[in-house]
Amino acid sequence: MKKIGLFYSFNTNKTAKNAEKIKKAFNDSAEVENVNVEEIDEETFLSYDNMVLGVPTWFDGELPNYWDEFMPAIEDLKLKGKTVALFGLGDQVGYPENFVDAIGILARALEERGAKVIGLTSTEGFTFERSAALRDNKFLGLPLDIENQAALTDDRIKDWVEQLKTEFN
Amino acid sequence: MEALELTSVEKENNNEMTETKKFNIKNTSKELLGRWYHLMTLGRALDEKAPNYLKQAIGWSYHAPYAGHDGIQLAIGQVFDKETDHLFPYYRDMLTSISAGLTAEEVIYNGISKDTDVAGGGRHMSNHFAKPEWNIHNVSSCTGNHTLHAVGVGRAMKKYKHEGVVFSSQGESSVSEGYVYEAINGATNEQLPVVFVFQDNGYGISVPKKDQTANRKVADNFRGLKYLKIIHCNGKDVFDSMNAMLEAKEYAMANSIPVIVQANCVRMGSHSNSDRHELYRDNAELNYVKEYDPLAKYRRMLVRYKRFTEEELQAIEAEVKLEVKKAHKAGLTAPDPDPASIYDFVLPEAYVSEKYPEGLHDYTGNEKKLIEGLNETLKAEFRHNPDTYIWGQDIANKDKGGIFNVSKGMQQEFGKERVFNAPIAEDFIMGTANGMSRFNDKIRIVVEGAEFADYFWPAMEQFVDTTHDYWRSKGQFSPNITVRLASGGYIGGGLYHSQNIEGALTTLPGVRIVYPSYADDAAGLIRTSMRSKGMTVFMEPKALYNDPKAAAPVPDDFEVPFGKARVRREGADLTVITYGNTTHMCVEVADKLAEETGKQVEVIDLRSLIPLDKETVLKSVEKTNKVLVVHEDKVFSGFGAEISAMITEEAFEKLDAPVKRVGSTFTPVGFNRILERAILPNNDKIYAAAKDLLDY
Repeated sequence: MKKIGLFYSFNTNKTAKNAEKIKKAFNDSAEVENVNVEEIDEETFLSYDNMVLGVPTWFDGELPNYWDEFMPAIEDLKLKGKTVALFGLGDQVGYPENFVDAIGILARALEERGAKVIGLTSTEGFTFERSAALRDNKFLGLPLDIENQAALTDDRIKDWVEQLKTEFN
Repeated sequence: MEALELTSVEKENNNEMTETKKFNIKNTSKELLGRWYHLMTLGRALDEKAPNYLKQAIGWSYHAPYAGHDGIQLAIGQVFDKETDHLFPYYRDMLTSISAGLTAEEVIYNGISKDTDVAGGGRHMSNHFAKPEWNIHNVSSCTGNHTLHAVGVGRAMKKYKHEGVVFSSQGESSVSEGYVYEAINGATNEQLPVVFVFQDNGYGISVPKKDQTANRKVADNFRGLKYLKIIHCNGKDVFDSMNAMLEAKEYAMANSIPVIVQANCVRMGSHSNSDRHELYRDNAELNYVKEYDPLAKYRRMLVRYKRFTEEELQAIEAEVKLEVKKAHKAGLTAPDPDPASIYDFVLPEAYVSEKYPEGLHDYTGNEKKLIEGLNETLKAEFRHNPDTYIWGQDIANKDKGGIFNVSKGMQQEFGKERVFNAPIAEDFIMGTANGMSRFNDKIRIVVEGAEFADYFWPAMEQFVDTTHDYWRSKGQFSPNITVRLASGGYIGGGLYHSQNIEGALTTLPGVRIVYPSYADDAAGLIRTSMRSKGMTVFMEPKALYNDPKAAAPVPDDFEVPFGKARVRREGADLTVITYGNTTHMCVEVADKLAEETGKQVEVIDLRSLIPLDKETVLKSVEKTNKVLVVHEDKVFSGFGAEISAMITEEAFEKLDAPVKRVGSTFTPVGFNRILERAILPNNDKIYAAAKDLLDY
């Protein structure tokens, strides 16, 4: 498996902790490099063919600033040949109308530039009303709800990474 | 419940890349990006400086910081065109106003309430920015109340085929107010070019939005309305906000339908200087709202995408610093309002009657009923002035013309554009009248404020606000409205169909109140109301519409000036001061007393309560030395209390007896005729009081 770039904001607490868990779950099956989204440029982003992106949903369904500010750069990138998997924190009780929207916003933007999005997951076990991250009743990544389902997080990460191992090149 | 995917429209809103938006960091001109940075930096500098004025006891004692709303406020101001559009900002819209063109000086003049404040010379609260000269309206603190005014302006734009759009800006919690629903419902029903912007920062002072409504995005509450577009945007992001506002404006104008823009914002500070948000927001939240800072984000993007260098931005920041310093100096040396000016601009000048300066005539033609006098004069004024409009509940549907048919035949003659029904929403009727008259000062509006005067209460918030407008704007905006209300009892109507409300209304400065008793005065007063600037409440004693007692010869061009009472019967032994239904009773009692006792009672029909003809009253008191005040409204706190107190204060030495009053009991008006008779004044009650005084 090619080297994986694990992109998230190093200034976060919860997302960073879960990124570390993801990295750990890959064991030695792949080389995983942590990358701070807050400092990336186009070149860094393009230097990985396999990427895992940490994208929590802010407020009523928004990208965090650090991803949002990178979006204009993404618009001009050609991402054919890139494989990306997204995970993101969300709160299905507090924000049921926009549960993990940010996963969907970023995933679709990357797809439009030619990237392949992998790591789709089932909605089973989640209760919410609407989500921009849904396609054909599947999430375009891995939602993590540590506000309401913290006890399920470790197993969800473990299962997801096992899935990624089979889906990444 | 099954979870839903977003619709294609929602996906489009969420996905920045499905189409190239007009504004983004890469394609927007450097000049424009720089101008925006200047405006945003200036706004933030003033927003952060405002609390210092309070600390130094200079002013700005009300300040609602806008930080966190920067993107959407910049965008509202940028898409507003003062040549064609109208803007209703709310009390948090400092950057909106700056972006629309207000200078740093003008913001500070308003903040510290100087005479030079272009909103209204320090008469309104601080942080209520406006510039009526540019159609940036001076609005109430009553949150969301201006949505109805925006709809009124939108109605005028449509009727006059004006190319423009109205922007109404407000916080998301104000949408909980019922009148905001009335406004949006009305704008969709009439298909008006109004853009309602909800700046959603999650709080109504300390009340989180979950305690306001079930949807987290309140705009979604309106999804069922026809002819409405809803756009969601990130109000913290300059480009998303600019694109959303531009789309909203273009859509509203091209399709003549309203648009709601819901802008997600954060409130970085407290609600206002009297609120302490640390009492209800935890540290995590206080930290993340700071992280959201839209100005910091915009600055980072300008540098990241190499549109501006650090040095260039610092140069703009230095410019702003100087600008604020200069404005601060101008603010401190600007003149304060003159305390002697408080009586200026309470009411605008009324129409002056040259032919009937006293509101009297000697015409001897055929008698007309009161309802005929009103109907014919309304029609005559509609022929005289093409900028006249009338609406209300039941006002026009085939042969029906108003609940009592006062406006019968008007729609047939003047068309649906000028004579039309209103929804069953009194506040909407009143509020859109206020709004429509903002479009230009040629317009004269008549509304049936409610089916019956006692149903007018739901309109009170708009009514009260309208009484403030002329004074609050220091004479820059005069709501030119005649509010017709069918009033009073003697019809067995009970509560909501037989009560009087003028006692309560006369406590409000900023409105004229007239209450005729005869057909000629009704005709003359409605003409004067419709030719005057300002608001007039026109009380119609509905029991007299068809009563032969109220019939009179009415000259075709009759005019009754405000503040001119009419002596209906002369006498030297007792003065009876009255108006409306009871005028006729007083005249009858006076005749009876003359016959029985030979004593002559002078009956003064006030006709106008505000302004009050003190001169006629005091002159009569000087002659008779005894006074009885009679009206149908309650004695307790009725308008007679004011008359009585005025006489006692200004003519005590002339009195030979205490001033007595006759009116309703301090109860609601009962439905059963037995109850109604016990409650309302009548000839017997007036006779007894008058006799007592004559014998005193």
